[in-house]
Amino acid sequence: MTDATPALDLRERTDDEGRERLARIERTWASPTGFLGWFMPVNHTAIGRRFIVTSFVFFLLSGVLALAMRLQLLVPLNDLLTPDQYNQIMTVHGTAMMFLFAIPAMEGVAIYVAPLMIGARDMAFPRLNAFGYYVYLIGGSAFFLSLFLGMAPAAGWFNYVPLSNKEFAPGYGVDIWTTMITFIEVSALTAAVELIVTIFKLRAPGMSLNRLPIFVWAVLVMSFMMLFAMPSVIVASAMLMMDRLVDTQFFVTEGGGSPLLWQHLFWFFGHPEVYIILVPALGIVTTIIVTFTQRPVFGYTALVLAMVGIGMVSFGLWVHHMYTTGLPLMGRSFFMAASSMIAIPSGVQVYCWIATMWGAKIRFATPMLFVLCFFAVFIAGGLTGVMVASVPFDRQVHDSYFVVAHFHYVLVGGAVFPLMAGLYYWFPKMTGRMMSERLGWWSALLIFLGFNLTFFPMHQLGLEGMPRRVYTYVPEMGWQFLNQLATAGSFVLAAGFGLTLINAIRSVFCGEVAGDNPWNATTLEWATASPPLNSNFPQPPVIDSHTPIWDWQQDDERPVVGGLRDDRRETLVTTLLDARPAMVQVLPGPTPWPFVSAVAASVGFIGLIFSPWFYVVGILAVFATFVLWFWPRHPYREE
Amino acid sequence: MHVRVTVDASEHPSYDPHHHPLWWGVLGAVAIEAAVVATLLTSYFYLALQSPAWPPEGVDPPDLLWPTIVLCLLPASSWTMWWAGKGSDAGRKRQLAIGVTASVAIASLALVARSVQFTELDIRWDDHAYGSMLWTITGFHYTHIVSAILGTAVVSVLAWRGYFTPERQLGVVVDTLYWYFVAAVFLPIYLVLYWVPRVLS
Ligand code: HEM
Ligand SMILES: [Cu+2]
Repeated sequence: MTDATPALDLRERTDDEGRERLARIERTWASPTGFLGWFMPVNHTAIGRRFIVTSFVFFLLSGVLALAMRLQLLVPLNDLLTPDQYNQIMTVHGTAMMFLFAIPAMEGVAIYVAPLMIGARDMAFPRLNAFGYYVYLIGGSAFFLSLFLGMAPAAGWFNYVPLSNKEFAPGYGVDIWTTMITFIEVSALTAAVELIVTIFKLRAPGMSLNRLPIFVWAVLVMSFMMLFAMPSVIVASAMLMMDRLVDTQFFVTEGGGSPLLWQHLFWFFGHPEVYIILVPALGIVTTIIVTFTQRPVFGYTALVLAMVGIGMVSFGLWVHHMYTTGLPLMGRSFFMAASSMIAIPSGVQVYCWIATMWGAKIRFATPMLFVLCFFAVFIAGGLTGVMVASVPFDRQVHDSYFVVAHFHYVLVGGAVFPLMAGLYYWFPKMTGRMMSERLGWWSALLIFLGFNLTFFPMHQLGLEGMPRRVYTYVPEMGWQFLNQLATAGSFVLAAGFGLTLINAIRSVFCGEVAGDNPWNATTLEWATASPPLNSNFPQPPVIDSHTPIWDWQQDDERPVVGGLRDDRRETLVTTLLDARPAMVQVLPGPTPWPFVSAVAASVGFIGLIFSPWFYVVGILAVFATFVLWFWPRHPYREE
Repeated sequence: MHVRVTVDASEHPSYDPHHHPLWWGVLGAVAIEAAVVATLLTSYFYLALQSPAWPPEGVDPPDLLWPTIVLCLLPASSWTMWWAGKGSDAGRKRQLAIGVTASVAIASLALVARSVQFTELDIRWDDHAYGSMLWTITGFHYTHIVSAILGTAVVSVLAWRGYFTPERQLGVVVDTLYWYFVAAVFLPIYLVLYWVPRVLS
């Protein structure tokens, strides 16, 4: 044992031996630098940061597309965009917001924060993590590029057949959608497996499942949902791809196929997807509430059960997107009842939050401000949700702007506000610097006002009969005033996001230095330096409660793991339920192979847009790179 | 703040294939693939139940001979994988090498049977949704056999070169797990593709 005597935290040791050891550990876990180095890092902090930055870039781009749509709808019979351009922009906006922004942003936060929160030094499969990122980057960029080439998909983000068949959607647009979305889902699946295994096996000793931080529970639920929801959209996309490429008949009525099969498969994924985005957001919100009230969460078990419940129930709701497709009454009634049931676990969550905040001295910093915005907006979206869950109401407003208003309240409320809260909350951890509070307040205010100004009028527009997905309208309909409000609002909204962007960029360079734990939070990501050390924890922590950092402060003592080697990447593996130490895992270091494999896979997928033979080419190419990736290096290292 | 070392990592082994995260990772991959198969089979039933005739008029259900041969070959190859793993556990490198090579050989036979079957199908993929399902599900499983064979071929090369030791057998353990899955998943596929049309019509 290297640290037999009680010693200071390795980072606070001033003697030579302590400093040298820390430097040795940090060298072992360092990522390479330079241009070639960019293709090699595998540390979860590096990959998580890339996911977050990339997803916010896609958010920005999709937001610009939204502004273009709003400008087009500013006045009746506007000709800023042609109908086809509008359809492409609308489809790319919707698809990118869902698949390239919301999900990857949540994955990114999870990949960055969850391993730190459980006291791990890295994730279980660091190379796979890197592979997933490159797949996402390449797939997402190729998807967006199609818009600039004027060959983007234009059949809406859910690509209903027969509109998306070769006959009604000639050209490569829908093919780009099916291949690139499948490709990006592969990346989501790798992240899901990675997160599950990391959370199951790499927790700090003593962090039994009932001491898992709520955010990590949320990530776990999200990952399991991805595991079971994504295959459905992958199968559906593959079938559509084949219908278009080699004339299979899955969705062709004359050939014995069924267009409704597409809708079932898509929504069996599509509804849970909304919760895949929402559940980690709930985790972020809970984490922030705990920190800014400085007290443990009320009703831990109830909160966890509620999240698991939401995850499970959400797989039984998909038909509420299909009320107008002529399903039997019995089926519709069943799904109407099921859809209303989701209100129960959601209610439990809200009560637990209220109870946590009740009587506490709340600190109203920017993250907490965004959490309050989340409450207001998300609850409003939930209310219209209960309305559209009812069959008779939905049949009136289906495919109208009422639905556009509803889902933006849920998605922006349920994902964007929590992500903004999370950004302000974890920014100091990621960069070592605080963001400006003053700019943060202004940004939150503008976003909240701009959002409501944009989307609240859309409820009324929907009730007045304005259909969604129209590129223009005639003056006689009287929709102009409300549309102008919405367009004005969208620019206020954009200004709000612009402030946060400026704030982030400025703070990276000249924000106030944050220190390890600026919010006095209690979860483990705050027990390392800001930004985290290469090894996360030179001496990984040992846990015996829900609120480790607060307890250590009280005892002025911190239990840790000793005996990990300094000269290779070692992390402790623990048992599934009660996190007893079981073995030591040796993790791989920086390597370019994940990048090479991702490029090989991209060639296969992008080729599929043009020829079915790329299926074979892709599989063989990926296999070859995998062999090189996993091939034991000579001389076999002593392991 | 003082630190106290309460857990000593050096007491724990760095090689325990049954605790290793990779084992769990492969389990995750298996769960995903199982979900894909379940989705495909559900789609098959969805289309079957709303068609007036399944298979369509004038099309025979696929022949039973070849799939039944595959159904026997795959468990046989799983048994040789298991036997190879026993050898590896006991440090008998030769048994390991022979076992995995035998599995690759038996599975290659299954692949031949599978290929013959493609040529004998009574319907093309673009004739009718029934044909599309048949070809797609068969092709999906075909791809799995191919990838299991390729992966295990690499393992057997390493085995003949004496790479695996009882401490280094993780590759064998996870490859075997995947192999069992590829063999097991054929059973529902077999029942649905070859027996359901006979029962339905
Ligand atoms: C931030 C400001 C946003 C604005 C101003 C905005 C605006 C719009 C507009 C104008 C449409 C087109 C409506 C139509 O023509 O039917 C639309 C559609 C859509 N938006 Fe947004 N949006 C925003 C954010 C988001 C976010 C954050 C998400 C998801 C996370 C999202 C997801 C969607 C989806 C899925 C569609 C449907 C596309 C389709 O009909 O296929 N939006 N949005
Ligand atoms: Cu839904």
